[in-house]
Amino acid sequence: MSPRAVDDLCLMVAGQGGDGSLTLVNLLGDLLAGRGLELYQARNVASRIKGGHAAAYLRASTARRGCLADRFDLLLAFDEEAVEQGGPRLAERGYVIYDASEGPAPGERLPAAATVLEVPFGRLAVRDLRRDLYKNSLAFGLAARLVGASDAEAEATLRASLRRLAAPLIEANVRALRRGFEYADERGILAGRGPWALAQGRPGERLLISGNEAVAFGFMVAGGRFFAGYPITPASEILERLAAWLPEVGGVALQAEDELAAINLALGAAMAGARAMTASSGPGIALMQEGVGHLGSAEIGLVVVDCQRAGPSTGMPTKPEQSDLGMLAEGANGDIPRVVLAPGDPGDAFELTVLAVNLAERYQGPVYLALDQAVSQDAVTVPRFDLDTARVDRGRLLTEADLAGMDEYRRYLVTSEGISPWAPFGTFGGQHLVTGNERDEWGRVSTQPANRARMMEKRLRKLETVRPDLPRGRRFGDPAAEVGLLGFGMETGVVVEAAERLAAAGLPVRGLQPRTLRPVLEDVVDLVSACRRVYVVEHNATGQYARILAGAGIPAERLESVLRYDGVPFRPGELAAEILEREGA
Amino acid sequence: VTAMPRTYPPAVPIWCAGCGHFAVLNALRAAIRDLEIPAHETVILAGIGCSGTIQNYLGTYGYHALHGRVLPAATGVALANPDLTVIGAGGDGDGYAIGVGHLVHAFRRNPSLTYILMNNETYGLTKGQRSPSRLGEWGGGEGWLDGPLLGLSIPSSTFVARGYSGWFDQLRRLTREALEHARAKRGFAFLEVVSPCVTYQDTYPRWEQALHDLDADPSHDPQDRAGAFALAAELAAEGRLPAGLLYRAPPTGPPADLPAPARAPIDPAQLRPRYEAILDRYALRPGGAPPEPAQPSRAKARPAEVRSLDETER
Repeated sequence: MSPRAVDDLCLMVAGQGGDGSLTLVNLLGDLLAGRGLELYQARNVASRIKGGHAAAYLRASTARRGCLADRFDLLLAFDEEAVEQGGPRLAERGYVIYDASEGPAPGERLPAAATVLEVPFGRLAVRDLRRDLYKNSLAFGLAARLVGASDAEAEATLRASLRRLAAPLIEANVRALRRGFEYADERGILAGRGPWALAQGRPGERLLISGNEAVAFGFMVAGGRFFAGYPITPASEILERLAAWLPEVGGVALQAEDELAAINLALGAAMAGARAMTASSGPGIALMQEGVGHLGSAEIGLVVVDCQRAGPSTGMPTKPEQSDLGMLAEGANGDIPRVVLAPGDPGDAFELTVLAVNLAERYQGPVYLALDQAVSQDAVTVPRFDLDTARVDRGRLLTEADLAGMDEYRRYLVTSEGISPWAPFGTFGGQHLVTGNERDEWGRVSTQPANRARMMEKRLRKLETVRPDLPRGRRFGDPAAEVGLLGFGMETGVVVEAAERLAAAGLPVRGLQPRTLRPVLEDVVDLVSACRRVYVVEHNATGQYARILAGAGIPAERLESVLRYDGVPFRPGELAAEILEREGA
Repeated sequence: VTAMPRTYPPAVPIWCAGCGHFAVLNALRAAIRDLEIPAHETVILAGIGCSGTIQNYLGTYGYHALHGRVLPAATGVALANPDLTVIGAGGDGDGYAIGVGHLVHAFRRNPSLTYILMNNETYGLTKGQRSPSRLGEWGGGEGWLDGPLLGLSIPSSTFVARGYSGWFDQLRRLTREALEHARAKRGFAFLEVVSPCVTYQDTYPRWEQALHDLDADPSHDPQDRAGAFALAAELAAEGRLPAGLLYRAPPTGPPADLPAPARAPIDPAQLRPRYEAILDRYALRPGGAPPEPAQPSRAKARPAEVRSLDETER
């Protein structure tokens, strides 16, 4: 076998939940990251703790990629269902490692030129309580040979990963690993002579982190000290991380009794001067809508994270979608100013969370962070977050000293910028009334028509005040192309890569990843104005983002929705092919 | 004395002449004065309803909550800054109907704040609909909800009392004791006040008869939860209500050192080493040391209070 040089390798590990697919992908990720490759790690799990088809995916490449590749080069299948699921996406000359304990691989599901390595894991692995762990170590040995790693590299990676286990367990796993090497020898896959010779990546440090973890971290760095949330997939990691981190910096993270409590706990803390946040997913965000309207009316700054999953209703809890956009853009009764930000990867998630925390206090209203299951939970290598860029901006916050120099203090003072100076509860001299009812400048409930109009206009004006500070989108592709491509959140990596494919196929596109979804900024307006047609890629069934754009006065006839709502992310090749077809190219 | 700007002028109560809520307001004003709590350290959070205007009358910090959400908001304030005296207030619609779930969890969570629930068995502001605390009269055989009895049934409750607008001296004492309990960081002080609505549900004559004065009952021991529960349950069966301090948990030692998120340092420069140490756990260093195995993204250990739901729906 002569190894083929590759700079981009994608693999899938699948079996029943509890088979350890994620463990194996983590090991392979460690191994490939050790070569300086960029990683994109995803998973596909059933909505249960044990059992059900569960898959983990890993893409390792010299270029940083924000999605999985079109095809898998390697499929590690612990059962037949794994072959059924992964087989259709296996590359023509891909490899399959199959657990043949219960019979041969269903070859009819696989490309004719694929190489199948049938391994009787059940016989080879030690049969005892830790069998799965040994099975993974054995499979890891074989997979490491395939990706061209040296045996020493593989063993070092395994030992590092297991180093918290008792010594006899580590040695048993290393024996299983070596058994994997022996099996590879028997099949002629010798050390350094696998099918692929993976390129060396860049040296230098990077992070492997998920969007949810980046949000939690960004919140803390921005001075976030109070978090309340209710467990929900795929948002729970934010609660879990902050429950671990906030107490260390004098903060509080609380598991609320429901989402109604979560948002009201958080806004209570915000009024007392703690930078606060809550996080949930669609069903929980729906419960919070009254609270979001209240934030806008009572003028309380709070960050609300929506890790979107497939709806409607309880939908598909573990699958990604971007179908809460209508709710985020228009939900809650009455008219309120609102900001909806959408990070496209963990680096973005960190940066936009820091910004969101500052914005919430500056304009004293709700700031949504709209993620989706893929951005929330996929782990991606990104440059180490630059903490020098993180700053704390508390806007028009008043201290005791500020108040001492004032003749009077009106909480809802009408100002030209719409923003009223505010004093956190407990500040000497700042006593005031907060209410979601219409009120006068003193906070006294009022239905007087002129006051009402003035107050509504004041609140809406705040959005114009902060508009210059809202994050602009990231451009890619050909800045002179007449066909546009828009995608955000989980679509980001896909549209960027699809643009490369389209350019190579003779259809250059002008691309943009919007990072502020609402209000609609001029970056999107400019792009659409300059293009004859713009493909808007979204994970929902009705083109919710396109509707937001049309509602903002963007010519709807130029917008061409590319939608997906089956719970599966787009792959770049699929998207490029779809657009080429629609362009008649 | 530091100079202080002029702040909002306290409003004049909107209540009907004879409303029980006047007594609640007067008792609260007296308790704040007796305990010498500065206005800027006092936060009154009120719900929706006639009772939900009490925050406008005392010149303190005041907040008008969403219907039923007084307790989460008040808990957020109390946890963010434990130096504040936090008083939640609301009616029986707010606390026993739309917000009753939060009441249960306030007893369970035991945050150090006072909650004064003005129970008049009716929805006054929406003109006289029945509330879940109305004794008898329910169609379809529905029963009524006894808040203090509910509180006594939750093992972590620490202060449960009922006052009556018509018995001002006792009400004033109970209000002060509730504030003292919360200010000493002993936990959640729940004071239900039966406070008649003279317009829609004038219960003065009935409650005068139905109330059992605990101050006049030598057999009652407010440190005996089971005894208090038995008494309240026995009276409830007869359509009667105990008034007074039902239960106050004995002190459990000096208060814990509470976090104060509103005052915690947030300057990123100052906290940089701590933040960088967390990032280190996510760092991959190609060609160098193998990756740290205990990355939080893969850690098996979870914070004790939080169950892992990574791979499941709620």
